[in-house]
Amino acid sequence: MARRIAITSPIGVAGEAAPQVAVRGPGWDGRFTVLILFLPPALLLFTLFVVLPIGEAAWYSAFNWNGFGRPTNWIGFDNYRFVLETRAFWLALRNNGLIIAVSLAVQLPLALTLALMLAEKFRGAVALRMLFFMPYILAEIATGLIFSFVYDGDYGLVASIWRAFGAEPPHLLASTDTAMLAVLIVVVWKYFGFHMMLFIAALQSLDKNLVEAARIDGATRTQTLRHVVIPLLYPTIRLSVFFAIIGSLQLFDLVMPLTRGGPADSSNTLVSFLYNNGISRMRVGYGSAIGVILFAICVTFAFTYKRWFMRDE
Amino acid sequence: MNSAGARLAFDPAVLFKALFLGLVAIFVLVPLLATLLGGFKSLGELRVNPFGLPAQWEWQNYADILFSARYWQLLRNSLVISTLAVALTLITASMAAFTFAHVRFFGSSMLLSYLTLGLLFPAATAVLPLFIKVRDLGLLDTYFGVALPQVAFSLAMSVLLLRRFFKDIPYELLEAALVDGCSYIKFFRYVTLPLSRPILATVGTITFVNSWNAYLLPLVMLNTDALYPWPLGIMVYQGEYSSEWHLILAFITLTILPTIILFLLAQKHIVAGLTAGAVKG
Amino acid sequence: MRLLGKLGLAAAACLLWASSASADTTVKWLHIEVNPAQVKIWEEVARSYEASHPGVKVEMQFLENEAYKAKLPTILQSKDRPHIIYSWAGGVLKTQIEASVLEDITDSVKSGGYSDTIAPAALAAFTSNGKVYGLPTALSQVGFLYNKDLMAKGNVDASKIKTWDDLLGAVKTLRAAGVTPIVVGGADKWPLHFYWTHLAVRIGGKPAFDAALKGENGGFTGETFQRSGELFKQLVDLQPFQNGFLGFKNPQAVGYFGDGKAAMILAISSFYHTQRALAADKVGLSDDKLGWFDFPTVPGGKGEPSDTLGGITGWLITKGAPKEATDFLKFFISKDVQARLAAGNFIVPVVKGGEAGLNSAFMKQIAANLAKSNYHQNFYDQSLGPSVGRVVNDVTAEIAGGSMSPKDAAKAIEAAYKQGN
Repeated sequence: MARRIAITSPIGVAGEAAPQVAVRGPGWDGRFTVLILFLPPALLLFTLFVVLPIGEAAWYSAFNWNGFGRPTNWIGFDNYRFVLETRAFWLALRNNGLIIAVSLAVQLPLALTLALMLAEKFRGAVALRMLFFMPYILAEIATGLIFSFVYDGDYGLVASIWRAFGAEPPHLLASTDTAMLAVLIVVVWKYFGFHMMLFIAALQSLDKNLVEAARIDGATRTQTLRHVVIPLLYPTIRLSVFFAIIGSLQLFDLVMPLTRGGPADSSNTLVSFLYNNGISRMRVGYGSAIGVILFAICVTFAFTYKRWFMRDE
Repeated sequence: MNSAGARLAFDPAVLFKALFLGLVAIFVLVPLLATLLGGFKSLGELRVNPFGLPAQWEWQNYADILFSARYWQLLRNSLVISTLAVALTLITASMAAFTFAHVRFFGSSMLLSYLTLGLLFPAATAVLPLFIKVRDLGLLDTYFGVALPQVAFSLAMSVLLLRRFFKDIPYELLEAALVDGCSYIKFFRYVTLPLSRPILATVGTITFVNSWNAYLLPLVMLNTDALYPWPLGIMVYQGEYSSEWHLILAFITLTILPTIILFLLAQKHIVAGLTAGAVKG
Repeated sequence: MRLLGKLGLAAAACLLWASSASADTTVKWLHIEVNPAQVKIWEEVARSYEASHPGVKVEMQFLENEAYKAKLPTILQSKDRPHIIYSWAGGVLKTQIEASVLEDITDSVKSGGYSDTIAPAALAAFTSNGKVYGLPTALSQVGFLYNKDLMAKGNVDASKIKTWDDLLGAVKTLRAAGVTPIVVGGADKWPLHFYWTHLAVRIGGKPAFDAALKGENGGFTGETFQRSGELFKQLVDLQPFQNGFLGFKNPQAVGYFGDGKAAMILAISSFYHTQRALAADKVGLSDDKLGWFDFPTVPGGKGEPSDTLGGITGWLITKGAPKEATDFLKFFISKDVQARLAAGNFIVPVVKGGEAGLNSAFMKQIAANLAKSNYHQNFYDQSLGPSVGRVVNDVTAEIAGGSMSPKDAAKAIEAAYKQGN
C-alpha cells in the first residue's frame, strides 16, 4: 500500500526526477497532438471552476456587494474586520476545534482499536467491517436527518429513553449547551468506520515477518502491539489525523439537517457559518472573506502538516 | 495477555472483544434500524414505540412514496448529475493523466503541480465566486451548473490516481507501439484505457459517491425543484412534513436504499476505492 | 473530445428546454403559501384566468418560506426565473430594485384607473421613485393569538393583558398552572424578532425608528432598542416558551399551537388560519377557542397603543416577464378575488371594497386595527434589508438563548447597519 499522502503538495511533485529531455524524432508530432487535445479540457475546467473562483474570492472580499450585477462598492479589508468581529465566527472556529479534538481523542482510538480487532480473521469480521463502514457511505444529509429523528424531543429515540425513566425528554438539538455535543456524536458515528478501514488496510499490508520476529523473541501481545505494530502504523495514524482535520474544516452537510448551525449559532462550523452569513444572505464580499480565511487555514495547515509530520515520506 | 491465557476456554479478552464489538454494532445499527422500522409505523405509535417492531405494519407510508412521481424524479436528477460528473471526470482526467504519464514536455511537472493545488481546499471556500461564475456562464439552474464544478474539484485527485497507474504501464510498450506506427491517441484508446479498468472504476466510484451525496453545490446552483437531486429534495420534504416523522423516515429509508444496495453489491470495490482514493496519491 | 463534450452539452441542454416549452405563454408564479385551502382558491383563479385568456398558462411553483428567502438572489439571477414572486416589500425590495431585477409595471398599473382601486399606503410600499414594481395583496398584524381553554385552565383573563407586566404576570400564572405559556418557532429566528421589534414600536414609536435609520440618538444602540432587549430578556428569564423552542421551525410552532399544546403564540394575524393546516389533525383550533389581544403596551412608551407591527405583502414582477404576468397579477388583485379570499378569512384585503368580504369577527377586528393604525411598522427583518434584518433575527435569538446581552445585541445591529448592504 502506497503511503504517500493524498495532498501531494506542488513541492512534492516538482521534486520528482525531471523527465528526460525529449528526443525529437518519431512521435513528436503525435506528442504535440496529444498535448493540444488531451490537456486543455482538464486544465480549462480546473482553472475556470477552481483556481479563478479562489482568486475572485480574494477580489470580491474587498467589496460590499449583494451579488447582483457587478461589485462597485470597494471597502478594502473591512469585510475581514467584520468577520473577525462576528461572535459567530469565533464560535464556528471553536466548534471546528472541538470536532478535531473529538476526532483525535475519541474517533481515532476507537477506529484503531476496532481495526486491531477486525484485522484478524474470524467469523463475522468482514461483516462487522462492512457494517462499521456503512455510515461513511451514507450521505451526510441523510445521516443528519436520521439523527435529527434520534434526538427529537417528542418522537426521538433519546426522548423515549428519557421517558422510560420518567424524566422530561431534553431537546438536545435546541439547546445551546447540548447542540454541538449532539453533532459531535454524529460525527463520530459517521466517520469512525472510514478511519478504521484505513487502519485495517495498513495492518493487512504490514510486514508480518516483523511481528512474527517480535513474538519469537518472546514479546507479549501488548509489547508487540506497542513496540512493533503501532510504530509501523504511525504513517497511517498521521494520515488519519490529517483527514480528520481536513474533514472538520469541510463539515457542512451534516450540520444543516441537524441544527442549521443553531441554536443561536452554537453549532456552526466554518462552512455552515459561511453559508448562513454569506451565501444565504448573498453578502458576496463578506462570504468571500470567510472563504479566503478558510482557504488560508486549509493551505497553511496542509503545508505545515506535511512539513512537520510527513517529512520522512 | 500472554499466549497461555489465549488458550483458556473463557478468555476475558475475547469476552471483552465480543462485548465491545457488540456495543459498537448496536451504536451503528440502532439509528438505521429505527429509521427503517419507523417508516412502517403510524405517528402515534412512533411516539410510544420508537425502538421495537411496528405493532401494525403501515405499508402505505412506503407505497405512497414509491408511487409518487416526486421520489423517482429526485433519483433521476441525482443519477443524471452524478453520471455527468463521472463521465466528464473520467474523460478529462484520464486524458490529462495520460499526457502527464507518457508525454514528456516542457512544463509538465509545473502543470501537474498546478492541478494538485486543487487538493488543498474544499469547494466551499470558493462557493460564492463559483456561484457568480456559474451565473455568468448562464448555467444557473442547470445540471451542468452543478456537474461541471464537481468535475473540476475532483480533477486533482483523479489525475493523480490515474497518472500513478498509467505510469506503471511499461514505457517500452509505448515505444514499441510508436515505432510500429501506432499513435499516442490509439495507444491511449486501445492499450492504456483497457489496462486501467480497475483504477478507472476506483476514480469513477469516488466521483459518483461524492456527486450522489453532494448537497452544497446543488443547493447554491439550483432553484427549480424539478431539477433537485435527492439530498435537496429530502430537505424540502422534511420541511413540508416537519414533524410527521413516520413519513420522513420512510422517505429517508427509500432515498438511502440505492446507496446501500450499491454498497452491498460492490462493497469490495467501494471500500477499496474510497480508502485507496484517500491513501494513494 | 472537447467537441464531443460540447455536443453533449448542447444535446442535454436541448433536452432540458424541450420539456419546459409547451403553451404559448407560460406565466410562472412562485409562491410560499402552505395553507392548501388558500392555494386551492389561487389555483381556481389561475384556471379561470386561463379560460378567459386562451394561449396563456399560469404555472404555480412552491418554495418553503425559509428556503425562498435564502434562494431569492439565486432565483432572480437565473435565466429561467419565475415571473411573479412573493415579497414583503421593505429594504429587501429596495435591494432588488437597485439590482434592476424587477420589471417597472407603472404604466400597466396606472392604466384604466386600476391603481386607484388599491389602498394607497399599501401600493406605496411597492413603489419607489414613482415607479411601481409590484402589487400588494394583503396586510397583516402581529399580536397574540391565544387558546381560550388553556387560558381558562391557567385562570388568566386575556382581556386584562394590557401592559408588558400583565403579560409577564400571565406567563407566571400559566406556568404555575402547568400550562406552556407561549410557543415560538425559535429555529427560524424571525418569530423571536417580533418580540424585540414590537417592544421597540411600543417604547419608541415611529420617531425612534426613523431616528435610528438616520443614525441619530445612538442609532440602534439608542435607549429604545436597548430597553426592548431588556424587556424581552425579562420575558425570556421566565422561561415562557415550550421545551426546545430554539429547535422549532415556525410551521412546527404554529402546528403546536393548533394542537392545543400552548396557551399563546405571538403571531402574524394570518396564523389564525394556518394553524388549522399545520395542526396534526389538520383541524386545529376552532373560532370559538381562539382569541386575540394586541401586543401589550409599555408604560411610559412613546408609541401609540394603536400602532401596529405587521406585514405588507404582495407580488413582484421580475425583469423580462411577459406582459401576461402583469395582466394576470392585476386580475388576481382585483376586488372579486380579494373579496373571495377575504371571505375565506385568509387575508386583510388591500383592494378597496374587498374588506366587505370579511365574515369572521376575528379578521374584521384585525382589519379594524389596521385601519385605525397611524404607524404600521413593516417587519424589521424585511424593512431593514436582507443583511441587517437577518442580524436582528440573529441577535434576538441570541437573547432568547441567553448567549447575548441586550446591550451587545443592540450594538451588533448598529454595527450591521453601519456596514450597510
